[in-house]
Amino acid sequence: MRIFTLALIAATFAIGASAAPKDETPQYKTAEAKHFTTAEGVELSPAFVDYFYAELRNELTKAKLVKEVIGEGETVEDADAPRSLVISGTVTEFKKGSVVKSALIGFGAGFKSLKMDADVARRSDKQSLCVIHVHVKIDPRWNEKVMAKGAAHEMVKEMKKALAEASKTATADASKPS
Amino acid sequence: MPPRTLLRLSVLLLFVLFRMDSSVAILAADEPKPTPQNTISIEVGEPVPAQKFEHAPKFWIANVTDRSGNPQPLLVLKPRGGIFLDKQPTAIVKDALEQSLKAANLLAADEASADLVLRVYVFHFGLASGSGLDFFGKVEFSTMVKNPKTGESTEVKAAGTSIANGAVRKKNLQKNVEDNIENALRDATRNFLRGAQLKEAVVAWSKASEAQPAAAPASAEAEKPPSR
Repeated sequence: MRIFTLALIAATFAIGASAAPKDETPQYKTAEAKHFTTAEGVELSPAFVDYFYAELRNELTKAKLVKEVIGEGETVEDADAPRSLVISGTVTEFKKGSVVKSALIGFGAGFKSLKMDADVARRSDKQSLCVIHVHVKIDPRWNEKVMAKGAAHEMVKEMKKALAEASKTATADASKPS
Repeated sequence: MPPRTLLRLSVLLLFVLFRMDSSVAILAADEPKPTPQNTISIEVGEPVPAQKFEHAPKFWIANVTDRSGNPQPLLVLKPRGGIFLDKQPTAIVKDALEQSLKAANLLAADEASADLVLRVYVFHFGLASGSGLDFFGKVEFSTMVKNPKTGESTEVKAAGTSIANGAVRKKNLQKNVEDNIENALRDATRNFLRGAQLKEAVVAWSKASEAQPAAAPASAEAEKPPSR
């Protein structure tokens, strides 16, 4: 019985060790996030765009999607350009929301709403790798910077998924016999 | 005026004066003052690596001007007794740039021997308005890169941001703010030294310096008297 218990514990550890996430090296070397532009009619302060830029860079660093997150307008070595990303985008819609509606109706009515589109391109040939659409809704009483935080988090999550899918497709295409 | 009314008026006047005095005292107490405990020192730490230039020029920082319009540039955070900087933001930015330029062997010994002279204008240094859940550090400056020989100037913008977690304890708060501003300064310095705009300015200087020696012999030849 004792031997069985020990074997069970050892097996559990072994499974745990094999299931532990490996420190995979990121596929891309650098990512340059640009300040997002705002579409006509979007009433957001320039401070929001600045804060979103900082949050996006912060989230990219946290997600370990790339080796290095560089600032806007920074140069990249020519050799690294094919493995570098440039992220640009636009805030397409912003609704201020209504505190009264939110309090009286509830269920998400009167929430602040933000829609953004982002384009992730390869630096060397400017080829678009994926296009991401993000829609964030928050309580109208909350600061708009909280919305920027949520949008940046959502965007990087979507980006990670889209880039993983794109690389899978590329690998499958490359392995296909011509 | 009856004496009773006079008495009432004087009591009222005394009361108003007392209230005004106490409100001024409260305002004065709210205004934080720099002490060694609430003063932080911002340093860029390790020098930021600069980009590699084909023809590396020598830079000289002529002056750094504060254009933030902040009446209290040393005050970083007002609540909870305040957090102050030990040096002016202009001095901190100058130190950071000089340190990194020196490490990359791009700093001239003096203005006369410099190939490009930098005039830095600091637009923002410290904390900016964030989500309230964290600290948003931001350093933003613009630099006029001037070729003293040709007189041509190019504007190079640089910005650095950093987001750090908030804190409850004053000690942690101060440490987080310090780290946050240091990261933002490092980011801005890096943005300047590795920026495409600086590269363009250096390329323009390189072309101008190549063109000058070529033009000089030509002009010398032109000045020669025609041979008979």
